[in-house]
Amino acid sequence: MEQAELQEKIYEFMQKMKGKKKLKEKDIIKHISGETGEDKDVVKKALRAMIDEGRLMYSYGGGASSVEIPSEEYLREKGLIK
Amino acid sequence: MALPERKTDIGPPHYEQFLPPVIKKNYGKWLYHEVLSPGTMKHVAESGDEIYTVRVASPRLLSTDSIRDICEIADKYCDGYLRFTTRNNIEFLVSDKSKLDPLVKELKEKNYTIGGIGPRVSNIVHTQGWVHCHSACTDASGLVKSIMDELYEYFTEKELPNKVRLAVACCVNMCGAVHCSDIAIVAVHRKPPVVDDENVPKLCEIPTTVASCPTAAIRPNPKTKSIIINEERCMYCGNCFTVCPPISIHNPEEDGVAIVVGGKVSNLRSDPKFSKLAIPFFYNDPPRWPKVVQAVKNILETYAKHARKHERVGEWVERIGWERFFSLTGIEFTFQHIDDFTFARDTFRTSAAFKF
Amino acid sequence: MSGKYKTPMLDELEKGPWPSFVTEIKKAAKKSDMAEDELGQLEKSYNTKRGYWKHGGIVGVLGYGGGVIGRYSSLPEEFPGVAHFHTVRVNQPSGFFYTTKALREICDIWDKYGSGLTNLHGSTGDLVLLGTKTENLEAVFAELSSRGWDLGGSGSAMRTPSCCVGMARCEWANIDTMDLCNELTQYYQDQLHRPAFPYKFKIKISGCACDCVAAIARADLSIIGTWKDSIQINQDEVRKYAEAGLDIQKEIVDMCPTQCMYYNPEDKTLKIADAECNRCMHCIAKMTKALRPGKEKGATLLVGSKAPIVVGSLLSWVIVPFMKLTPPYDDLKELIDKMIEWWDDNAKPRERIGELIEAKGMRAFLEAIGVPPMPQQVKEPRKDPFFFWAESDFKK
Repeated sequence: MEQAELQEKIYEFMQKMKGKKKLKEKDIIKHISGETGEDKDVVKKALRAMIDEGRLMYSYGGGASSVEIPSEEYLREKGLIK
Repeated sequence: MALPERKTDIGPPHYEQFLPPVIKKNYGKWLYHEVLSPGTMKHVAESGDEIYTVRVASPRLLSTDSIRDICEIADKYCDGYLRFTTRNNIEFLVSDKSKLDPLVKELKEKNYTIGGIGPRVSNIVHTQGWVHCHSACTDASGLVKSIMDELYEYFTEKELPNKVRLAVACCVNMCGAVHCSDIAIVAVHRKPPVVDDENVPKLCEIPTTVASCPTAAIRPNPKTKSIIINEERCMYCGNCFTVCPPISIHNPEEDGVAIVVGGKVSNLRSDPKFSKLAIPFFYNDPPRWPKVVQAVKNILETYAKHARKHERVGEWVERIGWERFFSLTGIEFTFQHIDDFTFARDTFRTSAAFKF
Repeated sequence: MSGKYKTPMLDELEKGPWPSFVTEIKKAAKKSDMAEDELGQLEKSYNTKRGYWKHGGIVGVLGYGGGVIGRYSSLPEEFPGVAHFHTVRVNQPSGFFYTTKALREICDIWDKYGSGLTNLHGSTGDLVLLGTKTENLEAVFAELSSRGWDLGGSGSAMRTPSCCVGMARCEWANIDTMDLCNELTQYYQDQLHRPAFPYKFKIKISGCACDCVAAIARADLSIIGTWKDSIQINQDEVRKYAEAGLDIQKEIVDMCPTQCMYYNPEDKTLKIADAECNRCMHCIAKMTKALRPGKEKGATLLVGSKAPIVVGSLLSWVIVPFMKLTPPYDDLKELIDKMIEWWDDNAKPRERIGELIEAKGMRAFLEAIGVPPMPQQVKEPRKDPFFFWAESDFKK
């Protein structure tokens, strides 16, 4: 699977889970790897690229770290949108 | 102005560039050291080379102006090299012996506090407190300042049977090794938290919140989609507050501090030990917590009077027995002293031999 | 801008001989609105006996999930300067050594973008920059990283490793703590900056059993230097200690926990039955010129210590009694990787490795990382006659 396609799958999953459950990086990798059959390392790499470019972000709350879709405020602060 | 290009995952700068030449040369080849005064020591290498260290107290919370002042002194006497200790002291590293006395002289003139080496009270390891933490139920820096003003001469001069490691934690999360210190202060809550039923469902995962309670005092409330706390089971640890902010554990009128004693991390003579409860509670009494300060001083001076040379606080108490610790210090023994948590049964006495 | 707040409570804490943190905040407040409002808010806390900081928020630098602790005032209208007051954790160099040039560089950056307040150092070991706004975070990171500094760990991640002064200035160091700390920090850069663990994982390294970084009390992996062979004795120096008035019988021999030493006052010599010595360091620490650790050096690896949250404090448990540690430390890295993998696969969220070992049993952990049972791992064998037998035990 192309990385871009994989990233779409990850993003869809993140949208679906938004507000329902805080997802750790591992939860996402496990789910997407199961769904697509892609190797966990490949999924991890795709996920990392999304975090590096600000499409997803690390979050912290409830005493634990998680991954989520960034707010507009975050994207603006990072200069990724105007 | 454009920013320089960021780099990621480079890690800290390599320590070698920060080492004085005499340390680089004798790295791993030190032979022995001598404590020259309460705040100075000499390390001698196999090669015969020497390095002198002058230890100075800091409040840990430092302004950039103060760091620059310290740098100026290090430039003048230490060729621009210095280090910090794990207990937040500053160490000036002197390679040229002739600069040692002038350095000490200038530090004294500028009112720096020199000391903390050898069988003394070193700087207090502590946490952020009201200065910067959401979880704090006392102010660590204020307690530290008040205690060290009172114990000042035990840092700068007076000898004790052995080192005495003090620590302050502004809640039971205990950033720092408070649970293994000779004498430590830990801030505690005494009332169950108050639940904001409107915000809990919005901001918290209910299963995670329920699971966060060590005494299973939290259950879901299907009606409100929030949670219910069984107040009789709550031990006020605040872990639910950490995972779910709308459960507020803070209670300014009933929060305060406890004093624990007898912990150590070194293996010298006896195994590392946890600190144990000496005094269960004092009300917060800012700005100077006078009763806490006097209680710490009383424990320290009772230890100084009765312990044998080289005994740490915990070793002294173990030799004389805890019942004797309470009678010598005059501290009242209460229900709070008897454990009823995870490791309780290991603490009940199983012998008919003890003291009155 | 100074003098915006009257601070009678905090002013009390400028009296007395010990260096005052209030003086530090006031110094910074002369130059920074942020530090000034910090002062104002703190005075309020002293009056009401409560803090005014909200739970950490979601802030950070692009790509990283740690190193910045979000901090917001719950009274942003009253104290706008600390509406945002985030912490930046800068990964300290091994052993906390600095040059004045390096420290000044950090001060310059922090005066420009932050409150001018710092902690040297935070409890874990990072150089802590205390208080900046969200919009300054990328700038602070660019300025720091372009000059060779990186951020430390926070959240559910590898935390910034730290170590004692070790071979740089201590004759008792059995391992090169500073080099090992630097190596492990570099090796775990990804896990340090991108929180993917069940919870925090701390590594602390002490060169000997004096344990100056309190590794055994507050690190998930405590690495403590030790030796295997005999204590090196210099009998000339023993005699000199005796002649200088040290009561060797009372202060050294009688305080030895294993009673493995014999002192002959006639010829002022010391003998040690090394097979009985448990390497506690008492005699070496008190007679540093006469006694030295042995020559076969390495470290003990202990696992699991933590503070009381949530079912009680733990000290680290001995897992590997002795391991030689020489660069590039591949055996050690491989073993730590195995520990983390087992923990990551089995732990619930916010479960530390020590708690997981308690839940799953020490055997499960030892088998997962490939370490055999050894008597050094326990204080005593089990008391009650209830024990498991695995299939593999029958085949023996």
